[in-house]
Amino acid sequence: MGRVITVTSGKGGVGKTTTTANLGTALAMRGARVAVVDADIGLRNLDVVMGLENRIVYDLVDVVEGRARLRQALIKDKRLPELCLLPAAQTRDKDAVNAQQMIDLTNQLRHDFDFVLIDSPAGIESGFRNAIAGADEVIIVTTPEVSAVRDADRIVGLVEAAEKGPPSLVINRIKPRLVSRGEMLSVEDVLELLAISLLGIVPEDETIVIATNRGEAAVYDTNSLAGRAYINIAQRLAGEDVPVMAIPDQQGMLERLLGLFGRRRT
Amino acid sequence: MSDLITIKGSRDGLRLRLDANAAWPELLSRLDHHLGERRGFFHGASLVIDLGEREVSPAQLDEMLALIRQHGVQATAIDSSERATRAAARAVGLAARPLPRYPEPMPTVEAEALMVMRTLRSGQVLRHTGHITLIGDVNPGAEVIAGGSVVVWGRLRGLVHAGALGDQSAIICALELTPTQLRIADLIARAPDRDKVSRPEFARVVAGEIVVDGWESFKR
Repeated sequence: MGRVITVTSGKGGVGKTTTTANLGTALAMRGARVAVVDADIGLRNLDVVMGLENRIVYDLVDVVEGRARLRQALIKDKRLPELCLLPAAQTRDKDAVNAQQMIDLTNQLRHDFDFVLIDSPAGIESGFRNAIAGADEVIIVTTPEVSAVRDADRIVGLVEAAEKGPPSLVINRIKPRLVSRGEMLSVEDVLELLAISLLGIVPEDETIVIATNRGEAAVYDTNSLAGRAYINIAQRLAGEDVPVMAIPDQQGMLERLLGLFGRRRT
Repeated sequence: MSDLITIKGSRDGLRLRLDANAAWPELLSRLDHHLGERRGFFHGASLVIDLGEREVSPAQLDEMLALIRQHGVQATAIDSSERATRAAARAVGLAARPLPRYPEPMPTVEAEALMVMRTLRSGQVLRHTGHITLIGDVNPGAEVIAGGSVVVWGRLRGLVHAGALGDQSAIICALELTPTQLRIADLIARAPDRDKVSRPEFARVVAGEIVVDGWESFKR
């Protein structure tokens, strides 16, 4: 029986969809059978990020309303045969499904997959509640900004109230230079407030933008720092005993290099 | 406090008891006044209403519910020993429960303190008529509202309102007192912009103003 894991955040734009796509891909690259589910009905984009938009025939609402069987709606990834996407409907809204239907759906999926990752919509309304209804575990994505952390805190409270157990945390878009100058919340600052376990951290990285626009997960790109971070998170999610990846301070590295040259000259 | 209206808090929430014998219009106008005077405490609250042995019609009940709604208060259930009143409550879609034959006396505010051991997160509200002791943090966006004093064994970064039923002698203390806002009775203070203070502090009212001091200067 697979694990059903919902990726959520409260605030929009912090990287839920990017995280879902990259973790799903990274887990499938390790050989796990993975289904990623877009629960953001009416504002779907997990299919776009994964480059599968032009293959959609049926969607989640078609399955829930009995117009299609689950197997018909699942779309196989371009590269990884073990990775499938269940897309959201674009022409409907959040009220098209209810919590019980999501629980039934995830129970079907967990039979055929090792991991079922659900990409939650932003907010705390019915779409969010549906997205966590069938979850065994919840991952909260935040960025090191006061507003995102505040929303994450609200979500932690709601997840605890829904008796999903303590959620784990991914801190996205960390800029080491700003942190070292004291101009951005540090990982420690975020953890002090949220007081939940840290699953991983992801640096701000331009390769994510490039990968997203190409419809290819950043984890394929071995030069992508964010891609490596997502692989680290997938390892930890799969139960491997590896530490949270450290993010090199780019400025620090440059200074060290300059220092090296300087020494050579003398 | 008006003796026609009594309020009690417990772990299960707030309970508003209305006198069973006073004239209905008189009772409603007192209730209006009572809630209006204690807006800081009641706004946003949900409570159980205890109507005792009074027989209340659906129309009267509607009138009362509309009144409390104006004050931002919601009823979660109606308790009454009168069958007709319980039927009226169900008719307007509320849960209705019979009263125990020998009700417990209503304890005074001072007698009841609530102790809670958890972190209060953004959007969560802890509300109690008596004192509140919280072991854990109060995060920004969370609210603690007490009729009495508030003790936080942890970081207090949210909004806190002590003496919310009008008691200016209430105090607030915390291991780290950096709230977004402090309120005692009808006074409001914003936390000063300062660096993290990592020593226990307390807030009280001195000469009509909220004053914050280090815990070592606390004297009874």
